[in-house]
Amino acid sequence: MSWETVIGLETHVQLSTKTKLFSRASTSFGASPNTNVNLIDCGLPGVLPSVNKEAFYKAIRFGMAINAQINQTSIFDRKNYFYADLPKGYQITQMDLPIVLGGSIDIHAEESAKTINITRAHLEEDAGKSIHDEFDGFSAIDLNRAGTPLLEIVSEPEMSSAKEAVAYMKAMHQLVTYLDVSDGNMAQGSLRCDANVSIRKRGDKELGTRTEIKNINSFKFIEKAINFEIKRQIKILESGEKVIQETRLYDSSKDETRPMRSKEFANDYRYFPEPDLLPVIISDEEIQKIKDEFPELPREKEARYQSDLGLSAYDAQIIASSKTMADFFDTAVKKTKNYSLLSNWLIGEISAYLNKEQIEINESKLSADKVATLINRIDDQTISGKIGKSIFEEMCLSGASPDEIIESKGLKQISDDGAIEDIINDVIKDNPTQVEAYIGGKEKLFGFFVGQVMKITQGKANPKAVNRILKDKLK
Amino acid sequence: MDQETVRTICYLARLEIDEEKSEKIQNDLETIIELIGSLQNIDTSDTEPLFSPLEMTAFKHEDIENSDNRKDKFLENAAASNEDYFLVPRVVE
Amino acid sequence: MSIQFKSITELRAMLDDKSISSSELIQESLQLAKKYKELNCFVTMNEKISVKKASSIDLNEKTNSTLSGIPLAQKDLFCTEGLRTTCSSKILSNFIPPYTATAVEKLEDAGSITIGKTNMDEFAMGSSNETSFFGNVHNPWKKGYVPGGSSGGSAAAVSAGIVPAATGTDTGGSIRQPAAHCGITGLKPTYGRVSRWGMIAFASSLDQAGPLARTAEDCAILLNAMSGHDSKDTTSLNSNVPDFLENINQPIDGLKIGIIKEFDISDLDTDVQACFEDSKKNYESLGAQFVEVSLPNISASVPTYYSIAPAECSSNLSRFDGVRFGHRAENTNDLNDLYIKSRSEGFGDEVKRRILIGTYALSAGYYDAYYKKAQQVRRLIKNDFDDVFKSVDLLMTPTSPNTAFKFGSKGTQNPVELYLEDLFTISSNLAGLPAISIPHGQVNSLPVGLQLIGNFLREDQLLNASHIFQKNSDFHLAKPNLEDF
Repeated sequence: MSWETVIGLETHVQLSTKTKLFSRASTSFGASPNTNVNLIDCGLPGVLPSVNKEAFYKAIRFGMAINAQINQTSIFDRKNYFYADLPKGYQITQMDLPIVLGGSIDIHAEESAKTINITRAHLEEDAGKSIHDEFDGFSAIDLNRAGTPLLEIVSEPEMSSAKEAVAYMKAMHQLVTYLDVSDGNMAQGSLRCDANVSIRKRGDKELGTRTEIKNINSFKFIEKAINFEIKRQIKILESGEKVIQETRLYDSSKDETRPMRSKEFANDYRYFPEPDLLPVIISDEEIQKIKDEFPELPREKEARYQSDLGLSAYDAQIIASSKTMADFFDTAVKKTKNYSLLSNWLIGEISAYLNKEQIEINESKLSADKVATLINRIDDQTISGKIGKSIFEEMCLSGASPDEIIESKGLKQISDDGAIEDIINDVIKDNPTQVEAYIGGKEKLFGFFVGQVMKITQGKANPKAVNRILKDKLK
Repeated sequence: MDQETVRTICYLARLEIDEEKSEKIQNDLETIIELIGSLQNIDTSDTEPLFSPLEMTAFKHEDIENSDNRKDKFLENAAASNEDYFLVPRVVE
Repeated sequence: MSIQFKSITELRAMLDDKSISSSELIQESLQLAKKYKELNCFVTMNEKISVKKASSIDLNEKTNSTLSGIPLAQKDLFCTEGLRTTCSSKILSNFIPPYTATAVEKLEDAGSITIGKTNMDEFAMGSSNETSFFGNVHNPWKKGYVPGGSSGGSAAAVSAGIVPAATGTDTGGSIRQPAAHCGITGLKPTYGRVSRWGMIAFASSLDQAGPLARTAEDCAILLNAMSGHDSKDTTSLNSNVPDFLENINQPIDGLKIGIIKEFDISDLDTDVQACFEDSKKNYESLGAQFVEVSLPNISASVPTYYSIAPAECSSNLSRFDGVRFGHRAENTNDLNDLYIKSRSEGFGDEVKRRILIGTYALSAGYYDAYYKKAQQVRRLIKNDFDDVFKSVDLLMTPTSPNTAFKFGSKGTQNPVELYLEDLFTISSNLAGLPAISIPHGQVNSLPVGLQLIGNFLREDQLLNASHIFQKNSDFHLAKPNLEDF
């Protein structure tokens, strides 16, 4: 039998506001437990929420970027359920009137492009965190995250493989970081998703029974969790059994999904309009302002890199694909004229280093200024490209500036013809046999002479000058 | 409203009712539901709900931090806490 | 000279002419609270701090605030920093808030002194103060009779002359009905007039804080201090707050008062009817005109209210889960067990009943039929009010269908019986309108209250009409005989 997979994703994007959705407590990551908590976040008796303007603006920016309908009147609802890290016993969310309705996102998976439709995106508050393993017999509650603004983006069930789901999340990551809607840091939970997975016979119209895999927070785990779930469901269906609709968790240590115990009771969330918040209206003026301040998106950047900076389509696409890389490039470009050398370095040496270290460029010791200086020193022939690579290694380790390294290690290129000529004269004098052989027609020996010069100068001689003068002398 | 419904409602509200009171509660709920049910006689087909007596809109606050860390005060009010956290019986996810 | 039964205006005069110091005033007020401990008005006293505040006011002579040095009592659902706030519940019986409610803060900023927190129906759910975890409050007029509710402790404390005024909250009549039963004046302002920040919520779209005092004039003094926009409460009104004392003495010549056709007064106790008819005549003699008006949907107020209020309460009270504050049950197996046991031990029967009703009204399949339906009817009721206020200035009704009743005599068999006590008061909560109750007679030595309902933001008209009535009558001057306490 031939099976078909249907996947829909609910993505939770933590909006990068300074303060929470309904309070003015900080949202900074990594604060000591329960210190980014005020009266409202603690859900104390008598407190009331008020809404954060910036969270709306970011949500609207996202909606505009996916060509969605923006609802300028926002109504919040309460979703009622009990959980230890949900302080009020309800989550404030948007049920009937999401701020963003419709729209679509383009993805690229396995060389083919596809458009995934978005059902809706709504604002809601995040819950706190429960720590289950650190204290004997207890779960510990940290409310720092409680109230952090989330944009929950619901896709249509239009993906048909784990790879497409990953491509969707990558496109989402690129978009939210580009829009400065979120820092997109998946390890810190700023971008995470729930995957709804179901299987049906190829050609069937009806969807199969789905399971929901909760809270997956890396591209790798999305692929693994969905692939596990697909296999599991197909196995069930092939043995003639039925898939049970349930919530599951992905356990990365065992590479499997398992039913989530704490969700075993069917819930009835009893949604109703939040009576503590009146409708929130976004004015036409505010919409216009968001439009006016709209950031440059990847496609626009690609086009600009090609037309204004003369980059190849390939280079432009690679640099524009990551917001952090493009930001770095945009800053560096202001400090150097050799754009193509800069882009070669970014795509070559720098990307290789970042890949090896598994970090983003803004997490490295490299700054756009220093990299531009390095490019300039190669460009103005202060150093050779080869020396440039060793300087780069040093920059990555110490964060020192190229000029400091050149100075302290005496790496400045020797381009003075007189100095190079003196060294070449010495080499010719010291190697009469090789000179004779070369003149006798053994042209391969040319490399030997260059090597000798480089050896004496520790690689600092300007290779072009060496070639030119050597050829002249060995005539 | 049957016993089963009462049990479900109690579970959703995380309340339990003493055995000897359960019949009384069930009767009370039925009486109140009957009272509320009388609204069905009113024609509201063209009427929007009025969720708040104020027909105005909320103001929005600026994204400027104004937090005072009162962790100790908050944890003090909890029945079980350690120096950093609120504590509850261990949850298995 | 005793300070008992004195109004704020009178106490102000005594303080100003130095016939009493603020310290003496507070001491005496605290003494009265002790003397009438049996009334059970107070859940928690604030003795030490109030004495200290009074002496600092005495040292700092200059003051131009009417409320400076005046003792007040706060209903025990206003959070008070460092001072226990219980909502008369077991679940919050040890709760010490880390902050103060805006309404209380404003009153204290104006110089008043909180001498204690008053008893109430648990979480403000009740009309007789019989649901308090801390026991019944007696009606100062008759031992063993209810003071009304839910602000029963506040009403009794003012009625017994322990404090000249107190705060209350009114979700369906919880200021006006106890004011009526205790023979004092109580005002529920327009929804949004007073910030709800720090007021422990019962039903968010209906709750409103207001004053209980001996006179309409004193209510105006408190309302002046309590009102105003609060950025911490997005449902608080951003309108200008007038000086409510400024026009309180205006003649009411030509004032148009509507009598609601749908409220059939002839069903009531004949003596209650007689009070109502007398007050009509009284007002007519003061220049007011009466017209009969119709609010076709007002009879649906009770079922509408008993769908909306429990629904909101069921959600508002979810935060009482034993995790971050409040009572936590011992020996629980897991998180759910902790929730169920803590809440079941911590809440009383009436609160549980309302949470269950609300949970039911919001649950899948019933939301449209109960909750949404009620909010639609609510609009119809509000529309009715909007219509009649095009032709009248105020509406007049009895505050309560009857006078105070004996402990345990109502609602024990059928809770709805007690809910019908709120018939005249709850429609103004549904529509968000201001309303006041003033004493206007007695039946069997128990006070009877008269209710005036005003248009949106027209507390000034209510206070004016009430003050003129009080200037020309002495019902509000009657004092309970407290010999039994």
